[in-house]
Amino acid sequence: MNRNEKIDPAIGDTCRVPLLALFGGAALWLVVGLAIELAASLTFHNPSMFADHSWLAYGRLQAAANDAVLYGFCIPAALGVILWVFARLSESELVLPLVPVLAANIWHLGVLVGLVAIFIGDTTGFQWLEFPRGASVLLFSAYMLIAISAMATFGARRERKLQPAHWFLLAALVWFPWIYTTANIFLVAWPVRGVAQAVIDWWFTNNLIFVWFALVGLGLAFYFLPKFAGRPLHNPDLALFGFVTFILFSTWCGIPQGAPVPAWLPAASTFASVLMLIPIFSLLTVFARTVTGPSLTGTKPQCKGGPFCYIKFGTTAFILATLMLLPLGCPHFGSWAGITWYVQAQSSLQILGFFTIVICGAIYELMPSVMGMEWPFPKFVRFQHWAFMAGAVLLVLMLAIGGLAQGMNDYNFQSALPFLRFSTLGLFLLLLGSLMFAANIFVMTIKWNLALAKGFIAIVRPPVKLQEVKS
Amino acid sequence: MMSDDLKEHSPATEKPSSGDGFAVPVWIFCVALLLLFLGGVYFDEYSGWFNAQVYAPYTDANELESYQPVSGAAAILAQGKHTYDTICTACHGPDGSGKPGQAPPLAGSEWVNAAGHQRLVEIPQLGLNGQVTVEGQSWNLSMAAMGAGLSDSDLAAVLTYVRSSWGNKGDAISSDDVKTIRGSIAGHPAIAGDAGLKAIKE
Amino acid sequence: MTSSCRIFLVSFIALGLSWGGFVLAPMEQLGTQKQTDVLNSSQTYPLQRTGDATLGLQVYRRYGCAACHTTQLQQGGVSCDVVVTGMGKNPTAVSNLLSSLSLKNLDKDDAQSASDQITGAGGKTEIHIIPTGGDVARGWGARRSVSEDFLWDYPVQLGSLRMGPDLANVGGRLGSFSWQLLHLYAPQAAAKDSAMPPFRFMFLVQKIGATPSPDALQLPAGFGPPSGFEVVPSNAARNLAAYLLSLHADVPLHDAPFTMAAAAPAPTAQAKK
Repeated sequence: MNRNEKIDPAIGDTCRVPLLALFGGAALWLVVGLAIELAASLTFHNPSMFADHSWLAYGRLQAAANDAVLYGFCIPAALGVILWVFARLSESELVLPLVPVLAANIWHLGVLVGLVAIFIGDTTGFQWLEFPRGASVLLFSAYMLIAISAMATFGARRERKLQPAHWFLLAALVWFPWIYTTANIFLVAWPVRGVAQAVIDWWFTNNLIFVWFALVGLGLAFYFLPKFAGRPLHNPDLALFGFVTFILFSTWCGIPQGAPVPAWLPAASTFASVLMLIPIFSLLTVFARTVTGPSLTGTKPQCKGGPFCYIKFGTTAFILATLMLLPLGCPHFGSWAGITWYVQAQSSLQILGFFTIVICGAIYELMPSVMGMEWPFPKFVRFQHWAFMAGAVLLVLMLAIGGLAQGMNDYNFQSALPFLRFSTLGLFLLLLGSLMFAANIFVMTIKWNLALAKGFIAIVRPPVKLQEVKS
Repeated sequence: MMSDDLKEHSPATEKPSSGDGFAVPVWIFCVALLLLFLGGVYFDEYSGWFNAQVYAPYTDANELESYQPVSGAAAILAQGKHTYDTICTACHGPDGSGKPGQAPPLAGSEWVNAAGHQRLVEIPQLGLNGQVTVEGQSWNLSMAAMGAGLSDSDLAAVLTYVRSSWGNKGDAISSDDVKTIRGSIAGHPAIAGDAGLKAIKE
Repeated sequence: MTSSCRIFLVSFIALGLSWGGFVLAPMEQLGTQKQTDVLNSSQTYPLQRTGDATLGLQVYRRYGCAACHTTQLQQGGVSCDVVVTGMGKNPTAVSNLLSSLSLKNLDKDDAQSASDQITGAGGKTEIHIIPTGGDVARGWGARRSVSEDFLWDYPVQLGSLRMGPDLANVGGRLGSFSWQLLHLYAPQAAAKDSAMPPFRFMFLVQKIGATPSPDALQLPAGFGPPSGFEVVPSNAARNLAAYLLSLHADVPLHDAPFTMAAAAPAPTAQAKK
């Protein structure tokens, strides 16, 4: 960790409250989401556990858990990190710092509304888009407010040169409003007829969980890895080539091979999956060469369970998740494995193994310099890294093997059951890690508030002096 | 640990040793072209070129056409069964055994198994009221003109199905027969019981 | 070489292309679809669901049934069977021919040539189109799911995971209303090895009044309520069962052709009662 970095203090001053507002709620939703996921997973151990409570129906728990992690943690936490990276790369303060504070509150309110709606059954019924329209409006307006602040910061940048991280993060900012409005307009507000709904939902899901996550996660990796590794990014031209080919091809993945749609739709996804090998290989080369190359400072960078480890593991998980995704584009494998737990394993790796870990690493790295204080529980940073790594690997492996076993066995549930039961342990480890994360964030917030209050009291206490000033 | 002189913009300033220009290895472009070609061949072969009717496992419209079932005797029976299950089954029962208070049986009925088919084609098109004797049992119910809205081929198929199922033995009825009879009875009132049925010339 | 304008331009082009391909084009092609004819019939498909089944789809959505069930059947391939329907005037020639020909699991061309040979010898044949693949072999349905099956659904509940069996044709497979209700209340009572969570909250357990409710479930021993009580389905449970029974993807369509199994075998005993 590089505390000795020289940062314009204005960046820290303006970012502090917005980031706390975004990260605090996000940490809470991560814990809530993983706890719900764990509860859902208990259904594998005893199917009739929640049989008398309609709000604990498995379908509701599953949807609520997915959305709490996706909309509650991933997106707001990512937006917070993007705000900071933009301010940092612009070498200027955050523009309109109060707007993201307001937006963070609207966003977290929207997530609360959406989750309650899922528990009482008011869902849209579309996977990864379960929040009803009221919650979607809140989320969308909050996103736009944060994006305005981010773009204003970007526009006011003192350092005019664009960095590789900029490409990815700017594209990500454009992506979300487009796909979110498309999905909500054509699926919720004025729904299209028939199976076109499903196609639009797949397009949305692929663009959010695969493309948007990759844009943000890769952007952050491009920003942090060179700093950690102590050497410049390897071959920026290859990175640009990877970026352009990635957004051109990845947007066409995501139509399941066995889907009840005309053959050209899955065939187009197969085509895109084949082409995805190009950007993935380019980006892999850039990462590997950046991380393994000799450091300019002469010392070999060590990660020791710190943020560097998070980013390294997260990037590896991204490559693995993509390599898990591409076979789903093969017509034969995709049509039988595409409706098993293998798909859930892939999205878990994408969301929990890649994105959550990268974001947590970024937060662990940037918050101390923003807040001007160390983490209250520095050991938790290392522990959480191990818990998340072990948890994600266990969860993903168990779900993937269970899914393939079930798919090869006439979709007989019994053949997946032992693996699904083991996956509960992975979720437990992930929950443990997220609790450490939340503890660090919340205790840091409380400490900062106490320090603020102390400072405030110090000003208010001596009334004599104040009167003197006034007179 | 990072030195202060390694600024944010330093990554972009590192140029590969090859000098100016876009420093992406040429072989990546070659691989890209190869993948583009392979993917294109796959798409050409399996996509059906955006045809809304072509689903896997079919790969183009011609192949799909060649797999359309021809309407042989079995297809006609299947079509008739589908029509029967949609319309007739509610009263006459799925096995043609009829239901007390709703409809007489079709299975084994002398009217169904008669040599000619004139009456059988007329009943569903005109409806039937009043006293009817079927298999020695007397029924006094009314049947609406359930078949008036069916196409010639559907009516022919459902009657053929009735005449060849549940032990019934009757000839097939063609859609041309139905067409001819339909033209000859246009505007007739509903058939009135046994007397009305017997008045129909086979 | 990279300005922010270019980055935005590339992003817009990339996302716009896929938006055109996967949003606009399916909306034009599938979103404007209408009812079609059932093959070799003038019946249209799909018919509107009944009122309670339409409500049942919303129950299906509310409880997230699609988390564990798909409603999309797949088809690995298609094969042809040659069926001899008549021996014609020269039965010996035809039966000699039949002993040397294979008639099952042929592709279209082989089936056609076998059929031509038999017709040439004076016999009568039909070519039956039989879908193949795991889902058909498991008896989950007769053909693959196509977009017409979902024409009236909102929201379309395809599902993405088969924790339980596929339901695209569950109304054709398990077509009893009382069985569906029993399975919702106590899955293990209806299907022994089921891992489905019971949906007991959709049922009322009430004291038996002066006359037992005609709707009360007939529960096997070990699953019933305490004596003196009966289990009555709520409207949600009835609607859900009606929806499940309305899932009937079993007619041949132009884009998913097959030869319907011919008329049911004659139950002669019943016919002459």
